Amino acid sequence: MDTLLSGQLLFAALVSGSLYALIALGLNLVYGTLRLLNIAHGDLVMIGAYTAFWLFTLLSIPPVVSFFVAAALCALLGWAVYEGMFRRLLANPGLAKRVEANSLILFYGISVILQNLTALAFTSSSRGYQYLDTVITWQGVSMTGNRLLSLGVAGGICIAALLFLRFHLFGWELRAVIQRREAAQIVGVNLNRVQPIIICAGFAIAGIAGVLVSMTEQITPFMGFPFTIIAFVVIIIGGLGNIGAGVLAGLSLGLIETYGVALTSPGYRSILIYGLFVAVLLIRPEGIFTKAVRS
Amino acid sequence: MKTTRRLACAALGAAAALSVAGAAWAADPIRIGYSMARTGIFAAAAPSQENPYELWKEQVNAAGGLELPGGEKRPVEFVSYDDQSNPANTVRIYEKLITQDKVDLLAAPWGTPMHLALAPVLQRYKFPMVGNTAASVQLRKVAPGYIWFPTSAIPDAMGPALAEMMAANGITSAAIIANELPYAQEFRSFLLPALKEKGIEVVMDESYPPDIKDMTSSLVQIRDKAPDAVIAMTYPSDAFLFAGQAKELGLKSPFVLSLIGPTIDAYRKVFGSAADGIIASAHWSPEATEWTRGKAFFDAYVAKFGEEPDALDSALSYMSLEILQQAVAKAGLDHEALREAIATGTFDTINGEVKFDGVQNDVTPTGFVQIQDGKIELVWPESIKTSDYQPKQGW
Amino acid sequence: MKALDIIFGLALAIGGLLVPLSGDAYLMGLVFQLAMWIALAQSWSMLSSTTGYLSLGHAVFYGIGAYVCVLLTGVVPFGVALAAGAAASAVFAGLIGLPVLRVQGPYFVILTYGLAELVRNVVMRIESALGSFGRMIFMVPSFEVLVWCMVALGILATLGAAAVRHSALGAGLAAIRENEVAAETVGVPVARLKLLAFVASATIPGAVGGLALLRTGYFEPAQAFDPVISFTIVTMALVGGTETVRGPVLGALGFTLLSEALWSSLPQLYMIVLGLTLIAFILFVPRGLSGLADRALGRG
Repeated sequence: MDTLLSGQLLFAALVSGSLYALIALGLNLVYGTLRLLNIAHGDLVMIGAYTAFWLFTLLSIPPVVSFFVAAALCALLGWAVYEGMFRRLLANPGLAKRVEANSLILFYGISVILQNLTALAFTSSSRGYQYLDTVITWQGVSMTGNRLLSLGVAGGICIAALLFLRFHLFGWELRAVIQRREAAQIVGVNLNRVQPIIICAGFAIAGIAGVLVSMTEQITPFMGFPFTIIAFVVIIIGGLGNIGAGVLAGLSLGLIETYGVALTSPGYRSILIYGLFVAVLLIRPEGIFTKAVRS
Repeated sequence: MKTTRRLACAALGAAAALSVAGAAWAADPIRIGYSMARTGIFAAAAPSQENPYELWKEQVNAAGGLELPGGEKRPVEFVSYDDQSNPANTVRIYEKLITQDKVDLLAAPWGTPMHLALAPVLQRYKFPMVGNTAASVQLRKVAPGYIWFPTSAIPDAMGPALAEMMAANGITSAAIIANELPYAQEFRSFLLPALKEKGIEVVMDESYPPDIKDMTSSLVQIRDKAPDAVIAMTYPSDAFLFAGQAKELGLKSPFVLSLIGPTIDAYRKVFGSAADGIIASAHWSPEATEWTRGKAFFDAYVAKFGEEPDALDSALSYMSLEILQQAVAKAGLDHEALREAIATGTFDTINGEVKFDGVQNDVTPTGFVQIQDGKIELVWPESIKTSDYQPKQGW
Repeated sequence: MKALDIIFGLALAIGGLLVPLSGDAYLMGLVFQLAMWIALAQSWSMLSSTTGYLSLGHAVFYGIGAYVCVLLTGVVPFGVALAAGAAASAVFAGLIGLPVLRVQGPYFVILTYGLAELVRNVVMRIESALGSFGRMIFMVPSFEVLVWCMVALGILATLGAAAVRHSALGAGLAAIRENEVAAETVGVPVARLKLLAFVASATIPGAVGGLALLRTGYFEPAQAFDPVISFTIVTMALVGGTETVRGPVLGALGFTLLSEALWSSLPQLYMIVLGLTLIAFILFVPRGLSGLADRALGRG
């Protein structure tokens, strides 16, 4: 019982929750505006992690700088993917009709290519580096520096994104596209401008998440898939395409996971998460944090 | 810089591989076939096995080739395929290697499931192969014949050995957390009765799924219960999670074991001095001076790959080829003669003497290593230890 | 065109059944693989091509079949174990079908994936609670027998898919794909038809999982429920083309043979080339190999 009420557990829940929210945010932006199921999302996290690793190991550039490099790299990749594939896909009515199935397979292809190119270039050996691993104790809660940084960055970006969506004009356009795609076009939102920006932003966020992950986990070319999955779990719980609810859901998933495990046993961790995921889809596919708006 | 060079190397390597496939070798090479989990769930572990293969090949060829009875030497060439971490592919690849590619010798694939799936194939074609990266009590059920397992890290031996080591170091209580994957669960099932026999109290016993992302609640409980020993039956991915969070929470237990993971080079790079004192499963150490070939292997590996070999899998992989090499020198390439030579011979390896009884190596003792000053030292058993066990001094 | 398809199918089937007589292990391995993917992709198409409900979780049926089969091997004759595997998958599909098939579009895709992962984790938990650490099977039937069984499953699945498409059931399913609400309005028993298609598409993968397991002789939940299986099925079916019965056959054939060719000639690059091929197909050949075949033969 003491454990349950300790700040330690809350800290752990917030660290994982904020990371889940961040990773899911990128996926949700891309799904919300383009209706693309990005199965390669976790592989962008992997690219971000490798960027941070090589910059740190070869050039001693710390992750706080790598954030920008990883974000730029992934955004570039997003732009290339959009220009090279999805512009064509979305412009072709025949292909766009089955955009979910097609984007799933396209991204599966991209995922396979990214993983294997990375393995070819860097071998599949595990990598890792030591950064900011001093433990700070505050009010009886021990926090490793890199986990604290992760919480700060992930939380900060999520909040910034939410504020941007609420208060910036482009944020409004974006929400319009997500909620009423056709109507947004009629009132003058330029989809050809919004879409590439969003896919770049979504990819960049995944890259930043990768830098965060690289500080605490081992880095391999095949590390991405679990992140894709967790991101899907989060955006389903929040509601596909609902950005704010997705962030809330990410945080909640961190809490549910940590406290669920503490109340039962770690053995039930994955059953709990997938059980919740399936239950939400069956009972309330529009997400538990989304007000049911049905036409 | 290094990255671009690697890329260039990879590209050149691919080009070279293509051109070599076409051109004929000067001397008729001995072709050795294997499959490797280059992609899929085991991919991260594959280099720890394939690097020693490459090193061995380079060394053998530099020495003029693989020696046959009568002193003739022929160069070695590898024929390898990716099995995508799928045992069904492994089976197909070895059938192809044997019947289509008609390789002269076989080296082992990665992992227990692959070895187990392969045993009947080897039996069917009467093709001997020395295994390496497999460890399970299930191996003991494999009918002796054409496959051998040099490992001594088999859970039914490790359980009692660990309990004995703990008792010898005055441990009276332990907390166990175990991955749900088979090897960890097997070990757990043999450790629990052994601990009971030694009178070591188990204050906590939990299992977790392989995709666990946070261990805080278990580790906080362990911290509060303050047992003498923490036995974390980890696989590589969760080994990183465990060490990071155990450090964060400042576990005070002096005896900390993390089953698989700490012997990987990257682990020590991530945790630095925090990794000191962690115990892991392995029966080889480069520090063992009586195994003279061991240090040479270690140095050559570091020079070639820029990182340290995994004390468990890399050592086993290299050993398996050493055994093959010595058996071929004695018996040549005839499968039956080779089988006989492997089954009855005694081999000198980087891990000392090896001799098989049935499918198992019955010489190398089951051991445990500890990270001390960033080095992998054997601390158990007495007969092969390179250093004394030291209680873990903080993180 | 019908005649050509039938001749092609017959040639494949007879070829497949004759291969074990050759005793060539490599060829048998290839045929086993081919037949396996044809059976899986064809089963998948019974639900997903016909109704447009895209399942990304067919590994769950494969895994359940494998699990039931490994539990029963040695207890009952292997044919019975396989049948039980298929039956278990069908029953599972029947039980979850109604609620699952109420979920549509991208939600259905993700739900099926999540279900497969959930079952995988539950089986893993059960196995660890039972103190079982991967199960080994001895005394498996000869490989020739396994190849025959797998080819038979491939044929059965293809016939099944053809039957589904060319029956009243198929017409109903097509109506659901085009407009589910409208279909319901005009009196198509939507829920019942979808469930029927779901169960039909789950059955054969159960037996396939059992056979594939007998081939390797080793069961571990993490591998039996490998999500890569689900992805490969969808990939093959889409590359083949979803509009015809011949699509999944061509997709499985094309994909398996391509990876076979690349796998031995470009060991380092073949996954990358496969990924590129996949992308090229979706973008430039939307009707899949099947559509390509039509065009090559001057129909279209």
